[in-house]
Amino acid sequence: MGLLPQDFSFARKGLPIVAVVGLIVAALFIWFGLPERELEEPEREPPRATGELANVPRVAGAGVVEPSSETISIGTALAGLVTDLKVQPGDYVTKGQPLFAVDTRAIRSRIAETGAGVGEARAAISEAQAAIAEARAAEATAARQLALYRNVEDPAAVSQAEVIRAEGEASAARERRQTAESRLAAAHARLDSAQAQVASARTELGRATVRAPIAGEILAVNIRPGEYLSTTGGGGNSQSFIEMGETRPLHIRVDIDEEQAPRVALGEPATVSPRGAADRQVKARFVRAEPQVVPKRSLTNSAAERVDVRVLQIIYELPDSDGLFRVGQQVDAFIPARRGRSTEPSQPAQLSE
Amino acid sequence: MLWIAIRMLTGDAQKFYGLVFGIAFSTLLITQQLTIFVNLIERGASAVYNVPSADVWVMDPVSRTTDVNFPMPATALDKVRSVPGVEWAVPHLRAGASVRTGDGDLEGVSVIGVDDATLIGMPRRMAAGSTDVLSRPDSVIIDDVGTTRMFEGGQDPIGQRLELNDQRAVIRGVADAIPSFTSQVTLYTKYSNALNYVPGTRNRMSFVLVGSADGIAPEVLTQRIEEETGLRARTRDQFARDGVDFIIQNTGIPLNFGITVLLGFIVGVAIVGLTFSLFIRDNIKQFGALKAIGVTNSKIRGMVAAQAGLVGLIGYGLGVLGTVGFIWGFSSNPTFKGFYIPWQVPLISLGAVTVILALTGWLALRNVLKTEPAAVFR
Repeated sequence: MGLLPQDFSFARKGLPIVAVVGLIVAALFIWFGLPERELEEPEREPPRATGELANVPRVAGAGVVEPSSETISIGTALAGLVTDLKVQPGDYVTKGQPLFAVDTRAIRSRIAETGAGVGEARAAISEAQAAIAEARAAEATAARQLALYRNVEDPAAVSQAEVIRAEGEASAARERRQTAESRLAAAHARLDSAQAQVASARTELGRATVRAPIAGEILAVNIRPGEYLSTTGGGGNSQSFIEMGETRPLHIRVDIDEEQAPRVALGEPATVSPRGAADRQVKARFVRAEPQVVPKRSLTNSAAERVDVRVLQIIYELPDSDGLFRVGQQVDAFIPARRGRSTEPSQPAQLSE
Repeated sequence: MLWIAIRMLTGDAQKFYGLVFGIAFSTLLITQQLTIFVNLIERGASAVYNVPSADVWVMDPVSRTTDVNFPMPATALDKVRSVPGVEWAVPHLRAGASVRTGDGDLEGVSVIGVDDATLIGMPRRMAAGSTDVLSRPDSVIIDDVGTTRMFEGGQDPIGQRLELNDQRAVIRGVADAIPSFTSQVTLYTKYSNALNYVPGTRNRMSFVLVGSADGIAPEVLTQRIEEETGLRARTRDQFARDGVDFIIQNTGIPLNFGITVLLGFIVGVAIVGLTFSLFIRDNIKQFGALKAIGVTNSKIRGMVAAQAGLVGLIGYGLGVLGTVGFIWGFSSNPTFKGFYIPWQVPLISLGAVTVILALTGWLALRNVLKTEPAAVFR
């Protein structure tokens, strides 16, 4: 207690000092302990309507990027094993370019087989022609012999029996020629048939190679050499074999709630930004509105989505944006609303505030 | 003269400390109970204040609070985005779910789905990890108070696997959030993940969080959203108030705490009043002597006021210090997470102390003023 002055009274001086210091400490504690409740800007940019759309009537919608041709699921005309895969995802193919081929060994053996049939038919033709020549020669001999007998004036010189035999030989030779001729016709027909079979097998060979129906980008390749493809598609999994589409330009399909649909100013360009890059907005050109209002296919990735909302789908064309948009990506779109409608209650009055 | 009054007051140490204790105790009781009361009912608004960036909350017309909500169809988001003056709008999902922990225990949790792209809806700060972990598959972020409830053994929550609605969920971060009224474990995840974690009904989106454009007051915007979309829109403060009101209407907390505060007041009046009266009565001779040498009644009033003021200052200071010490001492306890002393509360208790002292001082003074100088000889 030596530090304190002699007449220090704890009750009269100490306690009030303690109380005042305590109050100051409490005030500081309360001041710095107040909860943080002020608003702050979000760290990452959320999608927002900017520019001229910011303060005018507008309609918002979520959409998905798709190829301008829509996505084409390539099928196969023939079932079989994949033997040759000629494209990779990301390849840009021209119309008619081969994409993949299924196993052609059976078709090639059929071509060989039918080719042998052609040869056989050709041999039969030559055989028939030879038979015709032979029959003609025999017929000529028989005809000359018959004519010889006929020209003999003296009936005793040639027996009646000889004449009959010669007549028979002549007619038999004629028959043989006719038979050979019909065999020739049949052989020709066989040749035609065999040639048709060869042509058919060659067509099959062409069908075994699947070609690009349009020029476009390969978006997905879900088959690998050695896999069996069935013509009914899928083949056990529901994936399509190859997905392709025209990605120059890309389109977006924007879903607009049916309640909002009458407000949309069709034909106006839309302001679009991809998810996660809301600060990079582009203007997309109006292409068309789908004639049918469909149940919303939700973009929430939930398999068992049961959303009882119908949407109008509007297609917009994206400008060239250097990889910012990719097929299947979700986008947020803002579209101008029709002006001068009574559906927007007291808009101008509120805007002035 | 006032110094004489102070000496007179501290002359009897027992009575002096009795007075100080009475004031300090009732200050402590009133301040501390009011603080806990305010903080407890503000837990009803914690979910709103945990989202730092939303000016306006949009919900189904029948939704009442963050926990009592009725989900909306997914296109409500686009409707809200279409309203002029809405700077941005993001979906927000809040729903209850049951979680099975790695040990096989069952725990009720509230799952909060925040916007996939912007993560708007996350609390301001993280206690561990970063919000970026949500971009990894099956990630959830747990709140810090929930950690203590779910992992009582003090295990590290990060990396723990949970089972939510037959789906795998991995805790990859701890958020620094104020717990809700029920202190339920809260799991934050992306909106698209949350749809899988929460058993499905047809409509899933609980709220749309809206940021208002510059120059538009949130109150104006709520009115406009309500007119154009038919949904219910509340500003942040209104919605926080809704949560508080819900607790006030549905629990007995205000009544219970009101009774305690009243008891504190009564105890203060009783102790202080009794001691003060006794003290004045004991010193009535001294007052008589003072009057005998010509001290006026107003001087005596001033003396008693000085005595009351000193007692009040010391008692009130110690009481408030006690409350601060209490809140500070328990600040690390998860139950008291985020508790603070609203600045109004010490003012209220100051008012109460003033009333107590004024009342008892006035009662005691009546005797003194009636005292005749002759009393000194009796």
